[in-house]
Amino acid sequence: MAALLRSARLLKCSPALLLQVTGNTRHAPAAGRLYSGAVGTPHVGLCVQQRGLVKDEPSVAVRSKQAQQFDWALAKLDSSVRRTGRVTKTLLLHIFHDICRTGYPSGNQALLMLRSCGSLLPEVPLVERIELSQRIWDKLQELGATYDVSHYNALLKTYLQNEFRFSPTDFLAKMEAANVQPNRVTYQRLIAAYCEVGDIEGASTILGFMKSKDLPITEAVFNSLATGHARARDMDSAEGILSVMKGAGIEPGPDTYLSLLNVYAEKGDFAKMKQTLEMVENADIHLMDRDLMQVVFSLTKAGHQQYVPEIVERMHHERGYVPDAMNLCLSLITHGHEETAFSVLKSFTGLLVQSQTSDSPDLGNFFLRHCVNMDKSVENIVRFCKDLKDSGLHSSPLQFTLQCSLEAKKTGMAVELMRRMKEEGVPLRPHYFWPLFTHYQKEKNISGTLQALRAMQELGVASDMDTFSIYILPSFPSVDSARTSLKEAGIDVDANILIAAELRAEASRGNLAGLFSLKPLLKSPLHLLLQITELLCKDPRFNSTEPETSENVAYFLYNLIDSMNETEVHSKEEQLREYFGLLKNMNISISLNIFRGIRNILESYQVPELVKEIACFHVVKYGGCWSVTSHHSKPVVSICVSMCVVELCLSHQKLERALELKILYEADMTPAAYAMLINLCCRHDNAEEALKLKMELARKDSEVALDAQKYVALVRVLSKHGKLEEAIDMLKEMKEKDVQLRDGTISLLTLTMNTAAMKGDANSIRRLQEAIFTLGLAKPSSNLCSPLITCYLESGNYAGAFDATVEVHKQYNQMPKIHDLICGLVEKGDAELLQNVVEFLSQERGEMMMLYDLYFAFLQTGRYKEARKIIETPGLRARPTRLQWFAEKCIAAQQMEPLENMVDMTVKLFECDRDDMYHCLLRLCKETNDWQKAEATWMKMQEENLAPRERTLRLLADILKNNDKEVPFEVPEAYDMLKEAGSTGMVLGPAPYDTLIKALLAKGNIEDAMAVKNIATDHVPEFSLSDNANSLLIVSQVKRCQMKDALGTLKGMLQADQVPSQLAITRLVQGLASEGNTQDIQEVEALVKTLGSIKLSSMLFVNNAALAHIKNEDIDSAVELLQSFYIQNTDNQKSSISFVFRKVLDANNDAALDKLSAMVERLCNHFASYRAATDLFLMYLDTGRTEEAKFLLQVLCCILLPVQAAKIKALSELIPDFTEKENIYSHLVKCCGLDKDFSSAKALYERMQAEGVKADELTLKRLALLYKEAGEPVPFEEPPESFSFYADKLKKQRSESMEPADC
Amino acid sequence: MFFLSRGHGGHRQLHSQGLNMAATAAGKKVFEVFVSKVPWTVATKEVKEYFRQFGQVKKCLLPFDKETGFHRGFCWIGFTTEEGLQNALQKDPHIIEGARLQVQKNRKPFSGRKSNKEAEDN
Repeated sequence: MAALLRSARLLKCSPALLLQVTGNTRHAPAAGRLYSGAVGTPHVGLCVQQRGLVKDEPSVAVRSKQAQQFDWALAKLDSSVRRTGRVTKTLLLHIFHDICRTGYPSGNQALLMLRSCGSLLPEVPLVERIELSQRIWDKLQELGATYDVSHYNALLKTYLQNEFRFSPTDFLAKMEAANVQPNRVTYQRLIAAYCEVGDIEGASTILGFMKSKDLPITEAVFNSLATGHARARDMDSAEGILSVMKGAGIEPGPDTYLSLLNVYAEKGDFAKMKQTLEMVENADIHLMDRDLMQVVFSLTKAGHQQYVPEIVERMHHERGYVPDAMNLCLSLITHGHEETAFSVLKSFTGLLVQSQTSDSPDLGNFFLRHCVNMDKSVENIVRFCKDLKDSGLHSSPLQFTLQCSLEAKKTGMAVELMRRMKEEGVPLRPHYFWPLFTHYQKEKNISGTLQALRAMQELGVASDMDTFSIYILPSFPSVDSARTSLKEAGIDVDANILIAAELRAEASRGNLAGLFSLKPLLKSPLHLLLQITELLCKDPRFNSTEPETSENVAYFLYNLIDSMNETEVHSKEEQLREYFGLLKNMNISISLNIFRGIRNILESYQVPELVKEIACFHVVKYGGCWSVTSHHSKPVVSICVSMCVVELCLSHQKLERALELKILYEADMTPAAYAMLINLCCRHDNAEEALKLKMELARKDSEVALDAQKYVALVRVLSKHGKLEEAIDMLKEMKEKDVQLRDGTISLLTLTMNTAAMKGDANSIRRLQEAIFTLGLAKPSSNLCSPLITCYLESGNYAGAFDATVEVHKQYNQMPKIHDLICGLVEKGDAELLQNVVEFLSQERGEMMMLYDLYFAFLQTGRYKEARKIIETPGLRARPTRLQWFAEKCIAAQQMEPLENMVDMTVKLFECDRDDMYHCLLRLCKETNDWQKAEATWMKMQEENLAPRERTLRLLADILKNNDKEVPFEVPEAYDMLKEAGSTGMVLGPAPYDTLIKALLAKGNIEDAMAVKNIATDHVPEFSLSDNANSLLIVSQVKRCQMKDALGTLKGMLQADQVPSQLAITRLVQGLASEGNTQDIQEVEALVKTLGSIKLSSMLFVNNAALAHIKNEDIDSAVELLQSFYIQNTDNQKSSISFVFRKVLDANNDAALDKLSAMVERLCNHFASYRAATDLFLMYLDTGRTEEAKFLLQVLCCILLPVQAAKIKALSELIPDFTEKENIYSHLVKCCGLDKDFSSAKALYERMQAEGVKADELTLKRLALLYKEAGEPVPFEEPPESFSFYADKLKKQRSESMEPADC
Repeated sequence: MFFLSRGHGGHRQLHSQGLNMAATAAGKKVFEVFVSKVPWTVATKEVKEYFRQFGQVKKCLLPFDKETGFHRGFCWIGFTTEEGLQNALQKDPHIIEGARLQVQKNRKPFSGRKSNKEAEDN
C-alpha cells in the first residue's frame, strides 16, 4: 500500500505533472479550497447550483411559488457568487424586496438571505451589513417566516463575519424565549464570539455547556480558542493550543494555523509568521490563497501593511484567485485601506482579463468604481488613475471614474474630476452633465440643476440646445420661471438657444399628432389589388399543386399587411375589409403559419374587424387529410393459424405446441408467425431449432427480415451455444436488411457479450464487438465495450483487463469498467500496474479525470486517507457529473460509508454543489430509513452554513416524520399556507389557487379542494375553476361514485364555455355505465356533441350504453344497440367493441356472452360484418381463452380478419398530421411486403399515385416484388438494381440531407 | 422580397408592379450603418464628425436614455450615397477616442421606424 500512497503523493507533490496538462500558467492552479466568500471570514459559500443535474422530484408535488422563488433567488445569488465570489447589495435587496412583495417567505428563503449578509458583501461597510441582516431578520419574521436553530446559527455567523459585538448570553436567552434549542454549531459560534473579544472565561462557560451535553469539541473550537487567548494577550496559551489539540487527539488543520497566523499578523510579529508558515509547510498542510488573503487583511487592519508584499508574493494564484483578490481589494477599500488595496491590485493586474467592451486597456475598473462609491478623495483617485494610465493598464481611467461618479450621481466628485480632466487637457462635453441633470430633473431639484449648470459654465462647457430643451427646462415649471431662475443665479444663457429649445419642446409635442403620407401601394385602386391577387391564385404558373407556390397569395397578403404601418392600416381599414371580403369569395386558402403572422400584425394594430375578416379565410392546417381506405380481401386461414401460433408463443410460451402447430400448417405459416416462433425458441434457449426455423424462413422468402429485437435474441442464443459464426452471420444479415437497432436492443447485445464474458470467452466477445462496430449496427459505447474488460476482471486477470482497456480505447475510443479495474488493483495492492493504469488514464483522459478515477477507487475500497489526499490536489475542481455518478452508485448499493466520506471530503472542493451532495446523502438515509444519520447530516449542513433547497428539507422532514421524530424546522404545505393566507386577508391571484386545487384533486381530496375554492371565491370574486381543475373534479367525483355531482360539474363547465378533458368525459360515461344509467349517457352524448372539438373515442358512448344495458340485465337492448350500430353504417367496421367484450369476459357474465356471441355470428353470416368477430376473437386470445378462440374460429371458419388493414388504419390514425408522407408510405409498403399482403400494397400504391407522393426506388422494388408474386403485371418500371443497392442509396441520401440540419 | 424572388418571367406587368411595391416596402432602405460599442464620452457631434470622412452624413441617430442621461452605446448613421455606406463598411477598425466601434450594415429598421418620421423622409 505504501507504493500506492506514493503514487498518490507523487501526484500531489509534483505540480509539474499537473502542469503538463494545464499548460499555460507557471503556477499549478491550486484548488480553491473555498470557492466563495470574500475575505474577512473563511468558510462561506452558497451551495453551487448545477441545474442540469438537479432532477425534478419524481412526484408531481405542489410546486409552490415559494419553491420556485427560492430556486430563482438561489440561482441569482449563486451565479453572482460563482462569477465574482461576492453578492452586490443591489442584488440582495432586489431579491429581498421580491420575497417581501410576494409574501410568505419560507424558512429556507430566510436562510438564504441571512447567509448572504456577511462577508459575501465586501463592498458594503460592516455597519451597513449588520443593519441589513437585522432588517432582513425582523422583516421576514414579521411576514411569517418561522425560525429554527439553523436560522439562529446563520445569524450568529453574520455577527461573526461582520465583527458585530453582542452578548452571547442575551443571544441564548433570545433563543430560549423563542423556544429554539441551541445545538453544537450554536455553541461553537458563541465560543468564537467570546474569543473574538478575548473573553476566555465566557468561552469556557460555553465549553462547559457543551461538555455537560456531551457534545464533541471540534477543531473549530480549538481554532477559536487560539484566537481568544491571543486577543487576551496570552500568546503562550494561544501557541499552546497546538499541543492541547494533539493531546485531545485532534490534528491541527489549516484553519488552526491560519488562526495563529492572523494572531501574529495582528501583533505585527513577522518573524513568528514566517516560522508558522514554515511549520505549515513541514506539516504537509496546504494554505490556500484565500487564507493568505485573510492574513493580508489582518496585517492591514492592524496597521502592519509593510509586510503585505511579502505575503502577496507567497500566493499560488490558484483557481479563483482573481475574484478572490478583487474581493480583497474591495474589502480593503471598504475598510479605508485603499492604498494597500492599490498595491494588491498592482500585484495581479497581469492576471486580469480585458473587458470585452473595449480594445484599449481598462484594467482596474472595479477598483475605481468602488473608490467612487466609497467616496474616496478625488486626490487619491486621481493619483490611482495616473498610475494606471502611466503603467499602461488603463487608457482612460479618469473618464471611467467620471462615468462612475455620474452614475452614482455624485455631482461634487464628478465636477472635481472634470476639473482635473480639463487640467490634463481632456475635452469636456455638454452631455457629461446630462446624467446629473436627469437626476435633478426627476427630483425637481432646481437648485441642484442650477448648481450643475454653474459648474458647467465654470468649466467652460457650452450648454447646447439639447441640454436646455431636454435636460434643464423640464425641471422648471415654465420657461419663464426658468429664465428668471437662471438670471437670479447669475447664469448667462444665450437667449437664442433658450428660445430655440423652447420651440423645439413645443414642436415635439405637436409632432405627436403626427401626419404621415400613405404608401403608393395603398393608393392603388382596390381592383388592381384584386387583380394581382387573382392572378396569383388562378394562374397555373403561380398556383401549382406544389405547396410552395400555392402559398404565393398568402405571402402576398402577408407582405402587404407587413409593409403598412398602424396608421395606414387604420385609415385604410374600410378598403382592406372590402378587399378581404372579396378575397374570401375567391375561396383562397392560406396556411396556418401565415394566417398567424397576418393575424398577429393586425392584432398589434388593434383592428379587430380585420382580424375577424381574415379569420374567415380557409385556413389549411395540414397538407390535407390522409387515410388509407380499408379494403376487404378474402378470408385467409393462414392468418388464423398464424394468430394461434403467435398466441401460443406470446401468452403460454408453449414451444412444443407451437412447433407442432407449425408443422401441421406449414404452408400457411406467415413470416410473422415464423418470427414469433424463432423468438420463442430463443427464449427457450433452443439454438438448434431457432436456427433451423430461421433457415427455413430464409428459404421461403429470403427478403424477410426479423425485427431487431428478435435478431439480437437469435444472436444471443447462437453465441451462447457456441455458434459464433452463425451469430455473426445474423449480424451481417441485419446489416444487409437494414435493421435498425434501438437502445433496448443494443443493451441486449451487451448482455449477449456479457454472457460470453462470464464464460471467460474473450475471443467471442472480440469477434462480436468487431462485427457490431464494423458493420455499423451500433456505435461503440462504453456499455458495448465493457464485456471484454469484464471478461478479464472476472478471472482476476488484471494485466489482461488493462491490456484490453488499452485495446478498446485505441480501437473504439471507449474506456469502460475503469472504476472496477482500479478498485481491483487497489485491493490487490498491485502498485506497479496501478501506476501504469494511472499514467495511461492521465495521458488519454487528462489529469483531472484520472484523479477522479483514483479518488473513487480509494473511496470504494475504504482507503479514505488516500482518497482525501487525492481530492485535496491543488487545481482539482468539482465535476458534478462524476460526483453524481459515484453518489448514485453508493445510493443504489446502499453504501453509506463511502458516500458519507465523499460528502465530507468535498467540503472545500472548488465549485462543489453542497446541497446536491447532502441531498444524495439524505436520499440514502431515506433508503435505509436512517433518521439518526439524517439528523447528523442536518447538523453538518448548518455547520457549513448552507441554505438547502426545499427538496432537501422535504426529504429530511420525510425521514424524520417516518420515524415519528420531531421535524425541527418548517416545511410549508401549500394548503396550510393558503388557509393562513385566507385568514390574514392576503390576496393572491387566481393562478396559485387553481394550481393548489388541481394538486388536491389529483390526490382525490375533494373536500380540501372545495375549501380552497371557497377561500379563492372569497378573495377573488370572479374566481372559477379552470378547465383542467374542473375536469379533475369530474374524475374525482366519478371515482367516489358521486355521479350526479360529476354530471352537474360537466353541465356547469359547458355552460361556462369550458372544455372538459377527454379523460373526464370518458370516466364519467364509464361511471354512468357501471351504474346502468343509460339515460344520462345519452344526455352526456348530446351535451358533448355540442363541443365538437374534443377528441373522444368514437365508441365511447356506444360501448358504454351497451354496458349500461348489460348492467341492467337488459342484454337484448345491448345486442340490439351493437348490432344496429354495425349494420347501419359500414364505416363502423373500423370501430371496435372490444371494450364491451372485455368487460363481459372480466365479469364472467356468461348470459351476456352467449347473446353477444350469437350476435357476432349473426353479423358475420347475414351482414358480412366481421369486426365484432375479430374483436371477440382477439379478446379471447388476449384473456387467455384459447379454447373459446378456437371454437369461435371453427364456427366461423371462413371469417374475414382484416388484421392488416386494421394495422394500417391504426397507423394512419396515429399520424394524421404527419407531413413526411413518403416515409410513411414506404414503411407501409415494407409492412405489406413482410406480411405478403399484396392487396393492401396495391391499394397503397394507388393511393400514393392519387396523392402525388413519389415512391423511392426501394419502395418501388418492394411493390414490384409483391405484384410479381401475386402474378399481376407491374404497373411501373421496376428499378433494375438489387434491394441492398437501393437501401444503401436511400440511407446515404438520408444521412446527407441530415447533415446540414445538424450543423 | 419573398414573393419577388419567386416571380416568373413573362408577366412583366405583374413584375413591375411587384417591384413598385418592393421599392415601397424598401423605401426605408437608406444607406445606413448600425454602429455599436460607442463609448459614453462621445455624443452625436463627435460620431457624426467621425463618419463624415466616409461620405456625406445625412443623419446620425444616437439615442440617449432620458432616465439615465447616458446614451445607449449604439447609433445609426445614414449616408446620402451608397458610396459613403460602402466606404464606411470597408474601413476596419473604426477607432474613436481609442475605442473600437463596431460598424455593420443596418439590417432591420429600428423599432418605431415604421412611423411618421420615416414616411416624411420619403
